Parts: sequence; C-alpha cells; structure tokens
Amino acid sequence: MKPPSTAAERLIETEPYYEPSGHEIEVFAAAYRNQLPILLKGPTGCGKTRFIHYMSWHLKRPLVTVACHDDLTAADLIGRYLVRGGETEWLDGPLTYAVRHGAICYLDEIVEARKDTSVVIHPLCDDRRILPVDKLGQLLQVPPEFCLVVSYNPGYQSVLKDLKQSTRQRFVALEFSYLSAELEQKIVCTESGVDHATARQLVKFGEHTRNLKGSGLDEGASTRLLVNAAKLVASGISPAVACATAVGHPLTDDPELLQAIHELAAAVF
Amino acid sequence: MSDGARQNFLNLIRIQKDLEKLSGPVLARLPRALDVVAEIADLEREAQDFIYHWTEVIAQSNEELAAHFIANAPAAFRFLEQSAVEGWILKAMDAFDNRGLGFAIEVLDELQNYAAARIRHETDCRFEQVAGLLRYLVRGLGGRSLQIASEVLAYTDTERIFLPPTMGVLEGRAANAALYKCTAAFLWAQNRYGTWRYRVLEEAIRTLNATQTWPVYQRLESVRLRACLARDLPGLAREMETIAYVDDRARELWRDFTRQAAPLQATTATAHDSLALVAECRNLTLPPPLRFQGEMFPAKVREVLLRRVPREKAALQRTLNALQRDLDLQTPDEQDASARAEPANRFSVSAAGDKTTDTEQYELKYNDQRMPMGPELDALLNSILQDLGDIDDDYLNPPSNRDQYPADHDSGQAPGTEIDATDDGIKVTLYPEWDYTRQRFREAFCALTEQDVPFGDEDFVAQTRAKYQGLSKSIQRVFEAILSEAQRQKRQAHGDELDLDALVEAHVDRLQGRELSDRLYTHFRKSGRSVAVMFMVDMSGSTKGWVNDAERESLILLCEAVATLGDQYAIYGFSGRTNKRCEIYRVKTFNEPYNSEVKRRISGMAPKAYTRMGVAIRHLSKLLQAAQARTKLLITLSDGKPEDYGSYRGRYGIEDTRHALLEVKRSGIHPFCITIDKEAAAYLPQMYGPSNFTVVDEVQKLPYKVADIYRRLTT
Repeated sequence: MKPPSTAAERLIETEPYYEPSGHEIEVFAAAYRNQLPILLKGPTGCGKTRFIHYMSWHLKRPLVTVACHDDLTAADLIGRYLVRGGETEWLDGPLTYAVRHGAICYLDEIVEARKDTSVVIHPLCDDRRILPVDKLGQLLQVPPEFCLVVSYNPGYQSVLKDLKQSTRQRFVALEFSYLSAELEQKIVCTESGVDHATARQLVKFGEHTRNLKGSGLDEGASTRLLVNAAKLVASGISPAVACATAVGHPLTDDPELLQAIHELAAAVF
Repeated sequence: MSDGARQNFLNLIRIQKDLEKLSGPVLARLPRALDVVAEIADLEREAQDFIYHWTEVIAQSNEELAAHFIANAPAAFRFLEQSAVEGWILKAMDAFDNRGLGFAIEVLDELQNYAAARIRHETDCRFEQVAGLLRYLVRGLGGRSLQIASEVLAYTDTERIFLPPTMGVLEGRAANAALYKCTAAFLWAQNRYGTWRYRVLEEAIRTLNATQTWPVYQRLESVRLRACLARDLPGLAREMETIAYVDDRARELWRDFTRQAAPLQATTATAHDSLALVAECRNLTLPPPLRFQGEMFPAKVREVLLRRVPREKAALQRTLNALQRDLDLQTPDEQDASARAEPANRFSVSAAGDKTTDTEQYELKYNDQRMPMGPELDALLNSILQDLGDIDDDYLNPPSNRDQYPADHDSGQAPGTEIDATDDGIKVTLYPEWDYTRQRFREAFCALTEQDVPFGDEDFVAQTRAKYQGLSKSIQRVFEAILSEAQRQKRQAHGDELDLDALVEAHVDRLQGRELSDRLYTHFRKSGRSVAVMFMVDMSGSTKGWVNDAERESLILLCEAVATLGDQYAIYGFSGRTNKRCEIYRVKTFNEPYNSEVKRRISGMAPKAYTRMGVAIRHLSKLLQAAQARTKLLITLSDGKPEDYGSYRGRYGIEDTRHALLEVKRSGIHPFCITIDKEAAAYLPQMYGPSNFTVVDEVQKLPYKVADIYRRLTT
C-alpha cells in the first residue's frame, strides 16, 4: 500500500513564468473568491499545470497536486488508517490535507480516476462545501481558502472516459487550447533562451504538425514539446535533430508519418 | 611452356570439357567458343560454378539457349551483380516458356538493354513509394487539404496534386524522391500563395494565350513562389535550389530572369503583380522550366473552382447560421433588440497578421467580439480565403432568409414513438421526422420496414480472412490486451490473492474493535465490460464498389474482434427511397451468435438506394435501448451526408439527422460516426458533435482503421 503523498504540497515562493492568453487569471481569481471549483479543459502540454502553479503563487495558497490514475479510489484521496507498531494511525489523503490547510487541490486528468471519487468530489463542489471522512466519522467543513481544481482533456474519444454531466455541471470551466503564434513564440523564447527567429520557425513547425491532427496524429505538437525542442537547440543541437527527437518521436511511431514530420522540420529550418 | 601457362591451358581445357558435358555439342558451334572459355576461366570460382549450374539448368530446357547463355555470361558478370545476372537468366527462361526460343535468345543477347533498365529500376522512384509521405507532408504544410494522385503530368487542380507515376531524371532514388517532394511542395505553394485565386485566374485566362504568354506568366509565378517558400520554408527552398536546374545554362538564365522580375520577390507581391509583369517580360529569353515546376492547366482549375466556391459559400453560411443561433440563444435579452434593429453585418473576418503572405492569420468577429473557431470552420474559412483572398460580406451575412430559430422543442408526442401498422404481412413501423423549416415533427411520416439481407457468398468471408490474416491477428492481440487490463478486481469475497489494502484496513478495524469486512481478496474476472454496440451501415447506392467492399471487410474483421471482448453487438444496414419506403436490413441481431448465416448476410450486403438517416437512427436506437448494457454505442459507417429522393437533402436532411442524434444522446446512447466522406468535417460536427466522428481518408484503409477506432472508443 502506498502512503498518500504530501510531498506535492507546497507554497510556491517564486513567480512561475506564465503568459495569459485571455482573461483566465481574472476569472480564476474571481471564482476562487466565490468559492467555486474550477475545471481546466484542454489538450496536453498547453499550459494547464503551469497556470495552476501560477495561480497558486498569485493567490499565495499552497498547492496539492494529485495525478489521477485508473486505480485511484476515494480512499486514496481522503486518507486511511495505517498500522504502525501494533497501533493504528490515521493518515490524511491529499484532498483531506488540502481541505485542512486551505490549499488549492489540483486533480490532474480527473477522468482517469475511478468513478467512486465522484462521491467525495460532489459534496465538495456544490454549496454544501463539506468533505465527509467516513472512517473518522467526521464531516469537515471546508474553509473559504480551499479550492478544488480538476483538469480534463476532451480530445479523448473514449466514451468510458468522459466526465458525467452531474460532475461537469459543478464547475466553472476554463478552456485552454493552442496559443496564438506570437504568444507561443514568446513563450518558447522565454522558456528556452533561443532567439526569436528560431522560435518563430519552431512555432511554424508546431503548426504544421497540428495540421496533421486527425489525419494520422491524435494530437499535434504541444507548446511543451516545442519548448523542449527549443531547449535542445539552445544547447547546441541542430534544429532538425531537436525537432525529430523532441517532437517527432514523442508524437508518433508510424514510420511514414515520422518521415513526414522530419521533412516538415527540415523544410522549416 | 611455363608451369603457369601450362596450368592455364589445362584450366581452359577443363572448363571447355565441363561446359560441353553440360550443354552438349552446341558449345563448339559458337563463333567465339575459345574466347568465351578463356573469359570464363578469368572469372572467380564462385561465378564459374554459377555459370555451370545455370548452363545445366538451361540446357535441360534447350541446348541452343544454353549456348547463348554461355556466350553472354562473361559480359553479364562484367555489367551486373550476381543476383542481377540471375534476374536476367530468369527473364530469358520466362520468355522461352511463354513466347519461344527466338524471344528468349533476344533477351540474352540484349544484355546491355537489360543492364540499363535494371539501373533505371534501381534509381527510379515510383509514385507509390512516396505517396503516403507526400500526403502527410502536404497536409502538414497546411491550407486546404489537398489529395495526392498520380497522372502523367505534374499539376494541381486546387483540390488534388497530380504527380507522374515515376521520377527518374536524377541520379539515385533518394534524389528522385526529393524531386517528388519538391514538386508536391511547389504545387502546394501555388495553392497556398494565391496563384489560383479566383479573380486573378479569370483575368489570366482572359488576357493570356497558351503558347506565348502563359509560359512567361508561369515563370514569373515561379519566381514569386520561390521567394515565398524561401521566406516561410527556408530549408525546403534550399533543397529545391539544389535540384531546380537542368544545367548550368539554365541556372544562369534563371538568375537573369529573376533579376528582371525582382519586384515579385517582395513580401507583398501577388499573382496580380506577376500578371502585370507579363507584358514587360514577354520578350526576354525564357529560362527552361524548373525541374519541379509542373504544368499549369487553368481550365481544369477553373472547373474545380467554380464547383467549390458556391458549395463552400453555402457551407459557411450554414455554419455561421448555426453559430448565430447558439449566440442568440445565449443572450436572449439582446436578441430582440439587436437582431431586429440591424439584421445584417454582424459577422466580420479580419486579418490578424500580414494578409498577403499569410492567409492563416485572421480572426472571425461577431459584433466586434472575437469568436473562437472550431477546426471545421477554420478549414472552411481558410479554403475560401485561398480562393478569394478575402471574404465578401454576403458570405458572412446573407441579406435575406435569416430564419429565426426558437429553441428545439419536442412536440407533444415523444420523439421515436411509433405506430405499428400491418401491410401484407410485413410489419411497417411509422416514425416521425423533424422538419427544421417548421420546427415541428412530421408525425408518422416515415414508413419503415425491417427485412433480412439476402444470403451472399460465404467465400467472401474466407477471402477477407486470408487477405487480412496478419491484421486480424494483431487486432485480436490488441483486443485481448484490453481484456487483461481491467481484470484485477480488488476487495472481493473470494479470489486468488490477498488484497493487502483490504487486509490492513481489516486489521485496523480489528484493533479498533469494529466490524471486519470479509472482502479481502483480489480476483481475476473475465471482463468488467458491459458494452452493447449497434453498427449502422450505409447501404445507399453511392457505396457501390470499393466502399461496399471495405464496409463488408471491416464488419468481418470487427465481428471476430468484438466477439473476443464479449461485447454485445448487432449489425443493421439502412437505405430506402422516399419516406414511404425506408428500409432496414437485418444482418445480425443482438441475440444472434456470429454464425455462418450472419457471415453470408454480411457478404450479401449490397448497395441499394438513398440515405435517409434520421429514421434509421430512431429505429436502431430503439433496438439498442432494449439491450442490457451499461455503455451503449451507435456506430454509423457511412460514405456521405444524409440524402434521399425528394426534399430530404442538404440542410433538411442534416437537421433531421441532427435531431435524431440529439434524441439518441438524451436516451444515454453514445453516437459515433466513421465516414469516408472527405468533406464530412463540414457537417458531421453539427450532427455528431466535435469529437464523435472520424474521417478515414482512403476507403482501402477502412478495415485497418475501424477496429482501432472501436478499441479507442471503448477503453
């Protein structure tokens, strides 16, 4: 049995780099003040996690992150008794911990978690704002500083991995998608230190891979992949190799598609 | 005679004797018998053995032929690798078997031709070798999605890029593949950078003549396009430069010509500027065509363009209408005030970047508010901008006929209610149909009959199995893997292993004096799946040929795989002509096992009439509703939009289908559509929702894709 992780809990001291693409900071802050839970929608690597780090710093609240997986149960979130030297000892799960400390609790990829997690999420997310901890026989009243944030990628086509309406309709939703070329270019520059010309070409290459979405690729290159490629370039790797290793291969295994992506990278540089 | 010479002499005698023994007396009759023997003696031992072996084999067919082989064999080893020599021999033997001795000897004697053809074969690049790559490449570069096809000459008609079946002008296959790539990219650039915009095309057709001024215009455009490519895709432009010219003189001529046409290299230059320069440049020496330049066929482009422009205009207006309806619904208060006061001019498109070089940079505004665009709308606007350069206001805000939509509301009778009627023993079920113009159901409008598909040839199943043997194994493996994923179940009363989590909890409970749970085991269960799938297969007349074959093949592969999963599934086809004769064809019901009758029905599925989709969806979802499963899927295999004889086409058909799907979703069924219609992106998102459909580009790939899609959908 794995102990609930509290290592992810922290107060973020230095300002994370974040470029707003719309009014998401204001909306998040307003939702936070009104004690509304928040749903972040969007494809992978477009800044959801970075945004939540930024908001945690901005609001000066500690952040508890839980990466959801398909074996994550309600007990994993709430906590459980452990046996230590013949004695029993209660250990808070990440959600209970966040509630007690008035932290922001971020459930990443919520659809991956087991269905029974909705049992604890639902009462947290409406106006009751309570967390029932059955094992302790407690009903925690949630402090106003606490905020629940979940993320979800609507691009998956699996019908088994869709959020139920009863869950979705408890959240304020912020949509993240690919950024405008200028903004993405700025981010690539700032994150990696490459010059503007290289960043521009990398972003253009990214757009080319996004054109392939649906005709071979499940997703185009995310900003994260482009930043990775840019970092390699900044360390002296040739752009073609950087694009192949940091973008092409992570995106697909299909040899023909890979070759096309390599050709696109070669065309841009 | 020295020892060495003596040895050589003996060697010659030995070879001559050996060969005579193998080939009989013909060897002696060869005009250069001794020279040939001497040449063979100079070959490696391995080559000699090879010649002996084949002489023997050929002589068994014909001794004359064996002699010709011996006569040419030393030369063959000079020109060719041993494997190629074998190919040459086999070709001659084939000729002997099929066409006689004369032709076989001709093959052997024309060794030079064979060697040359073989070299060409090794360095030529064939279209099939690069088609897949180029498809991805052109799609990746962006703009309107262009198909790649093969024809004798390279050109584009703005929807397809045609490339020759082989490329062999350069040395080496890689170089020829690169030439393919550059040609495709250059033709893509014609589309992307506005060579074929509607107005300039009309003007060019009006003012230029085919023999004198088109070639000038073509070269001027090449200058402009190469400058565009150099700006946007410098790596590609560099590669193009290396293979562009036929010889050094061509390079120089192009350099001079490019200097004359320097204004076309500016970022703001358009095809209009090229056209304006034609008069000035018509007396210059024209450089020879660039290797990747291809041809220009303005008449073909015009034909395609004239078909596409009105179609896309209608599609855009339809999409914007739907968007506007949603917006008006969101702000009901404003609707009365603003919609009535200023009925037009509410959508606008503006360039966000440098419009002349980058048509991708624009945004759609609605009353000056920036609108998010889905990929379909984006592609549509992109395509229209590629044709026209800008978007006329009447595209965005059609002057009349802006129907005001009230919210969808159900009629008094719940949708899907049917009235049974009996007619000559065949059960007829009546279904309502949604009429968007009236915003009402037409009650009991569609008369539907259900019938079995006539038996077809069972061989089709065996053939399909053989054809996709490898694929069906790998599908099977993947599906079995799905099963093993979700097998381990925790906290069971019985099981194979202890559940440690549960055990610790039970221990805690015991220490605290609480009641113990007895669910302490993990258990491997066969499957936790509870899925029922209805496959709804388009059997309209348009599926005739490839599509129908691909549909049937896909079904056969799927049936075997889905059965592995233990999912319940049913297969029905649909077609019909008018609302009076909607037909549903039973292939497999939920309760039926996958038996030989089902197999014969699958192979008996044949194209019928039209595609009236709404009623089919209503009927099949009713059947699906009755199945016992947690997850219910309605998967449609289709090749186009809903269409029937009479008024059931265009918007009417789409709206009825959309409404039927809404009813389906409301009842907890997940609809999904797999289509091969390349234009599906324009209307499917409206009907099925943005992520509930997949377009399979090529019919032939359908069997490969369907199982994969099914797996993705249900795991």
